[in-house]
Amino acid sequence: MNYMPGTASLIEDIDKKHLVLLRDGRTLIGFLRSIDQFANLVLHQTVERIHVGKKYGDIPRGIFVVRGENVVLLGEIDLEKESDTPLQQVSIEEILEEQRVEQQTKLENEKIKVQALKDRGLSIPRADTLDEY
Amino acid sequence: MFRYESLEDCPLDEDEDAFQGLGEEDEEIDQFNDDTFGSGAVDDDWQEAHERLAELEEKLPAAVNEQTGNGERDEMDLLGDHEENLAESLSKMVIENELEDPAIMRAVQTRPVLQPQPGGLNSSIWDGSEVLRRIRGPLLAQEMPTVSVLEYALPQRPPQGPEDDRDLSERALPRRSTSPIIGSPPVRAVPIGTPPKQMAVPSYNQQILCPKPVHVRPPMPPRYPAPYGERMSPNQLCNVPNSSLLGHPFPPSVPPVLSPLQRAQLLGGAQLQPGRMSPSQFARVPGFVGSPLAAMNPKLLQGRVGQMLPPAPSFRAFFSAPPPATPPPPQQHPPGPGPLVQNLRSQAPMFRADTTHLHPQHRRLLHQRQQQNRNQHRNLNGAGDRGSHRNSHQDHLRKDPYANLMLQREKDWVSKIQMMQLQSTDPYLDDFYYQNYFEKLEKLSAAEEIQGDGPKKERTKLITPQVAKLEHAYKPVQFEGSLGKLTVSSVNNPRKMIDAVVTSRSEDDETREKQVRDKRRKTLVIIEKTYSLLLDVEDYERRYLLSLEEDRPALMDERKHKICSMYDNLRGKLPGQERPSDDHFVQIMCIRKGKRMVARILPFLSTEQAADILMTTARNLPFLIKKDAQDEVLPCLLSPFSHLLYHLPSVTVTSLLQQLMNLPQSAAAPAPSNPHLTTVLQNKFGLSLLLLVLSRGEDLQSSDPAAESMENNQWMQVMFMATRELLRIPQAALAKPVSIPTNLVSLFSRYVDRQKLNLLETKLQLVQGIR
Repeated sequence: MNYMPGTASLIEDIDKKHLVLLRDGRTLIGFLRSIDQFANLVLHQTVERIHVGKKYGDIPRGIFVVRGENVVLLGEIDLEKESDTPLQQVSIEEILEEQRVEQQTKLENEKIKVQALKDRGLSIPRADTLDEY
Repeated sequence: MFRYESLEDCPLDEDEDAFQGLGEEDEEIDQFNDDTFGSGAVDDDWQEAHERLAELEEKLPAAVNEQTGNGERDEMDLLGDHEENLAESLSKMVIENELEDPAIMRAVQTRPVLQPQPGGLNSSIWDGSEVLRRIRGPLLAQEMPTVSVLEYALPQRPPQGPEDDRDLSERALPRRSTSPIIGSPPVRAVPIGTPPKQMAVPSYNQQILCPKPVHVRPPMPPRYPAPYGERMSPNQLCNVPNSSLLGHPFPPSVPPVLSPLQRAQLLGGAQLQPGRMSPSQFARVPGFVGSPLAAMNPKLLQGRVGQMLPPAPSFRAFFSAPPPATPPPPQQHPPGPGPLVQNLRSQAPMFRADTTHLHPQHRRLLHQRQQQNRNQHRNLNGAGDRGSHRNSHQDHLRKDPYANLMLQREKDWVSKIQMMQLQSTDPYLDDFYYQNYFEKLEKLSAAEEIQGDGPKKERTKLITPQVAKLEHAYKPVQFEGSLGKLTVSSVNNPRKMIDAVVTSRSEDDETREKQVRDKRRKTLVIIEKTYSLLLDVEDYERRYLLSLEEDRPALMDERKHKICSMYDNLRGKLPGQERPSDDHFVQIMCIRKGKRMVARILPFLSTEQAADILMTTARNLPFLIKKDAQDEVLPCLLSPFSHLLYHLPSVTVTSLLQQLMNLPQSAAAPAPSNPHLTTVLQNKFGLSLLLLVLSRGEDLQSSDPAAESMENNQWMQVMFMATRELLRIPQAALAKPVSIPTNLVSLFSRYVDRQKLNLLETKLQLVQGIR
């Protein structure tokens, strides 16, 4: 059923499996059950997927109601092609551990960089502290 | 980042305390409220229903773990077992109307019984319980196919006496119930912003208010058989066509009557080949919530286009009939109601009232996609073939018990809102790129049609109906008898927040830098203003076509006026004075946007004005070239300049050449080194312009050979000087011109001897072979 071709409308996406990327970086996968004019989403059988390198892990989350303004992008998942991925699924514990390790290495690298810059008398304000305000 | 490891981490507890505090304040307000103080406060069924749903979820992963690699199909089957419960519980969760609210009903039951009025609709919520008792339907377990009915329209059943009270007390009270205070108007049970519930169904006689959704067999004619899918999702019935459940065909807000414009368009669109239905016919009809009737013979429809207007139900059929262009008719009928129903489910309103401004191409695409969907569905149902070509997604939809939780009318509601946001009084202004894009598409397809022999598509003229522009004169709120006005600020009447005062600085205080900056800013502002004028002027053609006869002279005047203003802006307006200073223009030309703008303005100027611009450019060319080094945008001026050159007389061309080459006034004077010329020749634009000018001069000369006029003499003099100069400059670092006019060889041959001609040729690479 085609509601508004040429426009971005979520109506045709209802009851289909979607991947939603949120502003805080989370990736949710679930069936889009309901929307409204602000693109608030109701996701069903939602799973939060954490990616680290070539591995990923799924955390089942249930029903999500997402406020529209927090969505970066979303796209329909082709159920046939869904399993056709080079990524490897691992358990939740493992992926969380991997994520922690990744965060740590990133922080350490940041620290080294900032220190090196400081040694040269430069300082770069950190973008994440600015956020959207 | 708000991350919760699990739902329990959410700070719900804090909120609950807050709510309780609020509740205590409101104690006095409604002590009869069943919800807060009565039986409604008891935890009700919906929680159990939720849990049941949750159980389904748990069983789901469990099932998956047990059966490896069976995929979702088995999950769905498992869920299917619970489908009845699910349907029941879901239906209980949704109370569509306060009228069927158990809380009210229960209170009402104690009142004396009133006679139910035959009209059906007139029965108010205060009708007695006797009426209500009649509505008892069989419980879910007793009926096949059990489809939960969320709305009214239940057949009469013999009242089940003693069960009633028990039922009522057992059954859930929804959270949002209204107060059963007799005599007070029904409290709005839901906040204002929620999607619309269905309106009261007037025409159904047996519409007696069901105190709660009950599982009954709806009075459906047998033409919706199992092939549609035994497991209908809980809400599917609402989408089933023609069921009296849906009641009134149109949502009350939509006027079923067409405006004369729309009618005319419909009739106009009727002049198509038989068998074809133009999407434009659908387009301007007010949106109907599609409960289409049985598929009508397309030929019938086509014949009836013009008469379709009055009877609303048949109008609906107008939409719903699948276009005859797609699958051949025989395929439509044998599968019977199956595909029809499938269509209807997927079909809903094809075109809404607010698509009026959609381009016909757009509507066509919409139409085509619908056809595709219909084809898919037809393949699914009609053939009954469960083969591999069936889309697995369709499969999922059929087996997904959670599907269609969002009702069709809710989808319509959302899309209506989105459409309303697209309404505009002037689509060209508001949606320029969309309009242009579709116009381009249409031109493309038209061009293709001319070339190829494809099937002749219908030509629809683009009529842009406009939403009536309502002039709102904002009047601030006033109370009678009060002194003064309220100071209220709103979107239409914003309050001034900051008093920004413009202070003009004195000239002395400014530093040189600031002055330069200010000047540049002023130039930028002038460019912007002139650009707005230019856009308006460019738009006049379109407006002209759309306007009425009497408006046209006024439009033309406006246009002329604007063109004059543009020119004044370009040259620096100094009325009553000659324009000695090129400075203003040069400043504009230093800015990239300015150059492009001049290129766009030139076609609109008169020959005189344009020639003036050209001369100024030529005069200041080295400076402009220097400034253009980064942008390299000067060549955009070549095209309008060359057009202009065709209209220039010989005199102008001569002086132009003089300016361009910075030639001394008299031939006798010794020629100093000519950096002006060098710069010009080393620049692509400069060289191209020079060649163009030379070419034009040659044209003029050759077209009028006999004339021994002043102009000719002048031209020849200048040419001598020019050739002398050209011979002088070194060949290296000559720019590559955009195009080399062909008549230059003949030009030069007049003025120089053979040897020098060869020299010139090589230098300027005038001969094709050399390149």
